[in-house]
This record gives sequence, C-alpha cells and structure tokens, in this order.
Amino acid sequence: MTQKLTEGVTAAFNADAVERIAQGEPEWLRERRLQAWEVYESLPIPTTRLEEWRYTDLSRKLELDALVLSSAAAATDDESTWPAGLRTAMEEDSEASGHIVLIDGHVVHTDIDAELAGKGVILASLHDAVANHSDLLEKHLATEAVPAEEGKFAALNAALWNDGIFLYVPRGVRLEHPVRVTRWFSESGTAYFSRTLIVAETASQVSYVDEVLSDDFSAQTFTSSAVEVLAADGAQVQYVAVQRLGRGGFYQAVQRTLAQRDSTLDTLNVALGGSVTRVDLNARLLGPGSNSDMLGLYFGDGDQHFDFNTSQDHVSHNAGSDLLYKGALDGASRAVFRGIIRVHPGAQRTDAYQTNRNLLLSPHARADSLPNLEIEADDVKCSHGASVGELDAEARFYLMSRGLNHVQAERLVVLGFLGEVLSRLPLGGVGQKVTRVIEEKLRNHG
Amino acid sequence: MPDNELVQGLDLDEYKYDFVTESKPVFQAQKGLSEEVVRQIHAHKEEPEWMLDFRLKALEVYYSKPMPKWGGDLSTLESVLDEIYYYVKPQDQMEHSWDDVPEEIKNTFQKLGIPEAEQKILAGVGAQYESEMVYHSLKKEWDDKGVIFDSIEDGLKKHPELFREYFSTVVPVGDNKFSAMNSAVWSGGSFVYIPKGVKLDTPLQAYFRVNQERMGQFERTLIIADEGSHAHYIEGCTAPVYSTESFHSGVIEIIVKENARFRYTTIQNWSHNMYNLVTQRAIVHAGGHMEWLDGNLGSKLTMKYPSCYLVGEGAHGEILSIAYSGDGQHQDTGGKVVHAAPYTTSSIVSKSISKGTGRSTYRGLCKVHDGAHHARSNVECDALLINDTSRTDTYPYIEIEENDANVGHEASVSKIGEEQLFYLTSRGIPGDEAMAMIVRGFIEPVAKELPLEYAVELNRLIEMEMEGSVG
Repeated sequence: MTQKLTEGVTAAFNADAVERIAQGEPEWLRERRLQAWEVYESLPIPTTRLEEWRYTDLSRKLELDALVLSSAAAATDDESTWPAGLRTAMEEDSEASGHIVLIDGHVVHTDIDAELAGKGVILASLHDAVANHSDLLEKHLATEAVPAEEGKFAALNAALWNDGIFLYVPRGVRLEHPVRVTRWFSESGTAYFSRTLIVAETASQVSYVDEVLSDDFSAQTFTSSAVEVLAADGAQVQYVAVQRLGRGGFYQAVQRTLAQRDSTLDTLNVALGGSVTRVDLNARLLGPGSNSDMLGLYFGDGDQHFDFNTSQDHVSHNAGSDLLYKGALDGASRAVFRGIIRVHPGAQRTDAYQTNRNLLLSPHARADSLPNLEIEADDVKCSHGASVGELDAEARFYLMSRGLNHVQAERLVVLGFLGEVLSRLPLGGVGQKVTRVIEEKLRNHG
Repeated sequence: MPDNELVQGLDLDEYKYDFVTESKPVFQAQKGLSEEVVRQIHAHKEEPEWMLDFRLKALEVYYSKPMPKWGGDLSTLESVLDEIYYYVKPQDQMEHSWDDVPEEIKNTFQKLGIPEAEQKILAGVGAQYESEMVYHSLKKEWDDKGVIFDSIEDGLKKHPELFREYFSTVVPVGDNKFSAMNSAVWSGGSFVYIPKGVKLDTPLQAYFRVNQERMGQFERTLIIADEGSHAHYIEGCTAPVYSTESFHSGVIEIIVKENARFRYTTIQNWSHNMYNLVTQRAIVHAGGHMEWLDGNLGSKLTMKYPSCYLVGEGAHGEILSIAYSGDGQHQDTGGKVVHAAPYTTSSIVSKSISKGTGRSTYRGLCKVHDGAHHARSNVECDALLINDTSRTDTYPYIEIEENDANVGHEASVSKIGEEQLFYLTSRGIPGDEAMAMIVRGFIEPVAKELPLEYAVELNRLIEMEMEGSVG
C-alpha cells in the first residue's frame, strides 16, 4: 500500500486486534487478515461525495469510535438457554436440511441431515472449516468473491471476522430442504463481523436462508456480513437474507454471487429491522446460460434508513439477470436504491432487467432511486424501471366497496404490492414469516 | 442482422458545415484565460462597472472549482483551455440588416441558409459569429407589440433594469465550473423579453457559428416570457472541422412566468472536435409551461442537461432529447426536473443512437420536494445500439420526498430487431433503407417535434449513416 491513512482505526479496530484474533490460526489465514488490515488502513471511510454513498452519510449514521469488539463467551448448545426471540423465530421455521445457530458472533449449534453429510455436504462454522477443510477455505475465503480490496467494509470484515458459516455441496448433490442459519446479537454498542461462504459444485442444488435477529439495542450496534456464493456449472443456488434486527442495529452486508455456465443463482434480501441497512450486492454472470434473479423487499417505519447498492455484471454472453426490489415506507423512513446493469464488451445476447418500486405511506417518508445502465455490447435486451408513488387509491376503494374498512384495505394493498417479490421465490416458510412481520409493522400504521 | 464488418467500413463524417471563411477579426484577445482577458472583454463591451465585478468574481469561482470527475472524459480539456482564444470580435458593431453585415460573414450565413429562412418562417433572427452577435433583427409587428429580441449586450445597454433583475438568477455563477467560466467571459447570445399576453406564432432563431480555429464561444442568453405569453426560440450551432479542439460553453437562463408557454429548441451540430458544455435552465412559475427540445448530433463531447425548476402550482416541464453519437463522439445528455410546488407535472423523453465507437449517456434527475403534492413525472429513455463497439449508459436519479407524488422511469436498450429488418426486406425494401426506416421510427416521437428544416436534415443524416450498413 502506498499511502497510510488512519481513518477508521479506533481503540477497538486496530492491528493488535487483528493479531489477537489471528492467534492459533494457520499462517495463510493470519497473513490474509493482516493484508486485509493494510487495505483497510489505506482506504478512506466512504463519504457522500462518492456516488455509491451519495445518500447514506456515514459521518452521521455510524459512530465507529464508540464500537467495541464482542467479548461474549460462546453460549452453550442448549436451546433452553437461548434468548426467547431466537427460539420463537426458529420455531416458525419449517423443515430444513441443516441448521446453524450463531449467538453473539459464536456458532453454538450445527446440525446437518446425516444422509447429506454422508454424501459429502459440509455445513460447519468457519473455525471448524478452517481446521478441517483448510484447502477449500484457503482457495475460496475472501479471494474470488469478496476480497479485502472490495472496499473499506469488506477489508474490515476480512481482517476482523470472528466466525461464520461454511456450506459446501459436492457435485450433483441436491438438498431438498433449505439450510437455515439463525444469528442472534445481544450486546449493545458492539461490532460483529461474520462471513458466509457457500460453494455449490457442478450440478448441485441448495437453498440457504440467513435470518438475523436481535432485540432493540440501547446503543448503536454494528453487524457486518461478507457473503460469498459460488455456483459452479449447472448448479442451482438460492440465497435468502432476512434482516430483523432491533432498533439501534446497523446492518452492513457485502454480498457477491459468482454464476458459472448454466447455473442459476438467485438472491432475496428482506430488510425489516435495524436502524440502518446497507447492502452491497454484486451478481456476476460469468458463464453462458447462467441466470440470476435478484429480489429485494423492505418495509420501513420510524426513522429507518435502507440503502441497497446492487450491480449486475454481465461478463459472459448469453446470460440473464432480473432484479426486482420493492419497498413500502412509512413514518420518516427512507430508502435508497442504486442499481447498475453493466454489460461488458462481448457479452452479447444478454437479457438484463432491473426494477425498483417504492410505495410511500407517509408524507415524511422518502425514496431515492437510481437505476443505471452501462452497455458495451449491442445485441442485448436491457431495460430498467423505477417508480415512486402513493398507495393505489383505486385498489383501496375497490376493497372498501367490498366491505373492508380503510385500514384493512390499505394493509391488503401494501401486502399485495410487496407480495409480488415473495411469490417470485417461494421457499419453505420464508414468505409466511416475512408476511407476518410486515403485518405486525402495518399494525402500527395509521 | 447487419454485418458488423460492413458497418465498420462506414465513414461517419460527411460534415457539410466544414467550410472556413477568410475573415479578419477587428480584435482578438491573447489566447488562454486570465484576468486581463476578462478586463479586455469588459472594456470592449463598454459595460457598467457592476458587470466587471461580476465577471472577476466569477473568474475566482471558476479557478476555485475542480474539473468535474463525472460525465465525459475531460482529461485533455485543461490543455485545450490554455490554447484557445476566449474573445474574438469579428466586426465593430452589430447590424440589423443583412446588407450591412460584412460580405465574408454574410456568405457564411447564406451558406447555412439563415437569411432565406428568416424571410420565410421566422419572427426574428440573431446570428453570432465567433464571440459577438453580428446580426439581430425582429419583424416589425413583434417590435410594435413590445417584444425584445436583441443581443445580450444590447439587452444590458438598453434595458439595464430588466436585465439586472433576472441576469444570473436562474443559473448562479457557482452552479458549476463552466457556468462560472461563462459568467467570467460571456460574450454574445440573445436577450429576449415577451410581454404579457403576447403570442408569437413563428419562432425566433439564433444561429451560432464558430469559424476560427482554437476558438472558445461563450454565449449567454436571457429570456423572460411574461405572464400568458407564448414563444418558441430555436438555436442552431455549427463550426468547421479543424485538427485542434475548440470549446463552447453557453449559459441559457429562462424565466417562464405565470401561464406563459415557452419552447426552446437546440440543434447542435458542432464539428467533431468541439467540447460542448452548456448549462440550460428554466424557472417555471404557476401554470407555466416550458419545453426543451434538445438535439445533439455534433461535437466531440457534449455535457448538457436542460432543466426545469417548477416553482409555481401547476407548472409543467417537458424535455425531449435526441442524441446521435458516431465514431469518437460522446453525447452525455439528459435533463433535470425539480418539482418544488404542488400539482406540477413533467415528462422527459430521451432517444439515443450510438454507432461505431460512439457513446450515448442519459443522465437525469427527477426530484420531488417535500410539499410538492400531486406531482407527476414520467421519464422514458430508449437507446439504440448499431455496432458491438457502441456504448450506451443510463444514469437517472430519482429523489422523492413527498408521498403524494407519482414518478416513473423506464428505459430500454436494444439493437435493431432482426424481425423488423426481415419484415421490411421481405417486402422488397433494400436493407439499408429498411435500417434507416427503423431508426427513423425509433426517433419519431422526438423528431416530429422538430422544426421542419431540422427534421429534414435529421432524416437525411440518418439515411446517410445507414447507407451500406446492411449486407
């Protein structure tokens, strides 16, 4: 690194902390952390002068200096000792191929269907994976998908991650039910760094649901996730993230999906909780025949702030991507959607679409939408659309004329509006759970 | 599909405005920008003192602002700006009859067909040559009704109060680096006032010509459309092709008062070595109606985003934009609409064609301020790509602070459809003609709004470009 800045180096985040975390880890990992730390130090904290951070002012939204690293000891693998909110969320889930439960940064429980384990499926905490599958981790962790060089937050995560999830699906193995990961956070004023690495080998199939939960925090609490999803030729992967943090939570995620030839790699980001949400999602279509559906859903109230920064990189010809992000905003909440479709030179016969729709339910809500296109090939079909509007008065009137009262009619219209996203990715119980949470939030609305 | 090899062989430039007139300027400032140049411009124009202060302050602002890092490639512009002449005075005074315009300058405009058009279809004509308006005239019937159509310099001299009330109120000096530069060295442009209730039934036209090599043109236009008036202003631009790069940076300010209706049409066909960085903005009061019709065919790089600030209830803004980018050209254009009052409506329609190594960029903003309830806006951008080396980008910004608003943006990118081509060729239409038909159909929604002579020219251009593009 040519230049050393000190932006973002705090009492909690510093080179000593990296060394401490790296203790006892294999040398390759220690080096990777230290190198990530160098990248972190060399990069400034993003400001609103940067196009990608134009509408999220970190100098006002994030108090980096006040954060400490988690010092919680690992909870026990005994369900009865877990927080009530966590247990309730898990009870709602239907069948699964396996579970991981993570409390305050530590993986406390792992189970995987025995038959699948027999076929070579690996579901493990990152710590265990580093110990037992070092070759796979050394190859894929923070290398191809979300390397430290990706940005300030990716670097911080790569340097300081505490634990995370590794999922490996061997060639041709298909998982009937989703893998469910539930992550709970309880220490106010803390910064948590976790990673997810999903490797789906040729012609395998897997779906993965990550749910993040907490009660309300008394001080800003930062949860950082780096998510790497690799789909080899012909693999089918669904990745779902449901964010239900309490107020005071700052949810920051960098996600990247790499789709090889003929693979399907779909994502769904649901953001309902937290005070600030920032998701950077980059889908890379690397092989012909690959396709990514990218779905997003958010419902804001109070002073919640959501910022989705998505990109669809068509590196290969004959690939498709289709993005649909929809959100409803109540109270003084605010949503930012910035998406870009990049058709690289030579990526002929690309089909790429991008739609962002916002429903403003209150006069103080605000939505900013920036759907961008950069096209450097000519034989392509690309379009994008964005809209911001109020509730469809006609639909509401129709429902009221059928005997529903004002509030019921409004709720139904909002659920119908958002339901389009959920219906595009039907996945064991996710839709019902999300709908129930939205209904709860709607109950507070006028 | 058209064979790319064939298309590649096409030469884009058959630029018909590539002729130079031998003419000696009566004064030419030293090249490059300096305080001295600004003072010389001021002295030559015999302006009031406040204008010198204004210019010098603007120069400071210009120096203090960094080169924009967005938009087109401006990396070599700085060296161009050191080499150009900021002020070239072609004749001593402005004329009101073509007979009095020096022969060689008149010839230029005759070649461009301006005097002829004036007789037939225009309410008034202004012609700018290098840095100054050389000709300005308005038909008597409009003069009698109190319409003012004059050079900006005469506007300042003859109507100092009106001028000072509105000048630089729509585009403040510090709006951007190039509006600051223009404010320091502005020269030429029109001053237009349409009195209350006066409805012009034929357009006013201004024609901008850069003749000399290494020339920078900085016209400034101020238009006030008073309550209930109607008018249409057309601007056309050309220059010869030189091996060195030239620079054009205009500032256009328009005030559309209550219930007035104003349309501003620009057809920019600068030579392909011209940097064209223009700030065009209108403030639209209650019930007013502003239309920008923006055609960008020429220049090396254009960065221009006509804007409507809708500040009164029920104001309406419309931007129709058409861009053509051929080899080596970058059209970075679009529009801005800012809704700052209730019941305001706006629409942006943008059509672009990129061919060869051309790049077309749509960059736009739609903003609805808190309290601008019942605002409605619709933005549509369509891009057509002819070759696999062509490029198009779309960067719309949508910022909504009001829930009782409806804003939509749609964009699509496509290449000419094989089915369409096949259909037409199966009906016996030759390939290149079919191609031209499809392109014409694509731009038709905007092209039909163009003044006739420009529509004809655009069609001709497209035919020329598509010739031989299909095997």
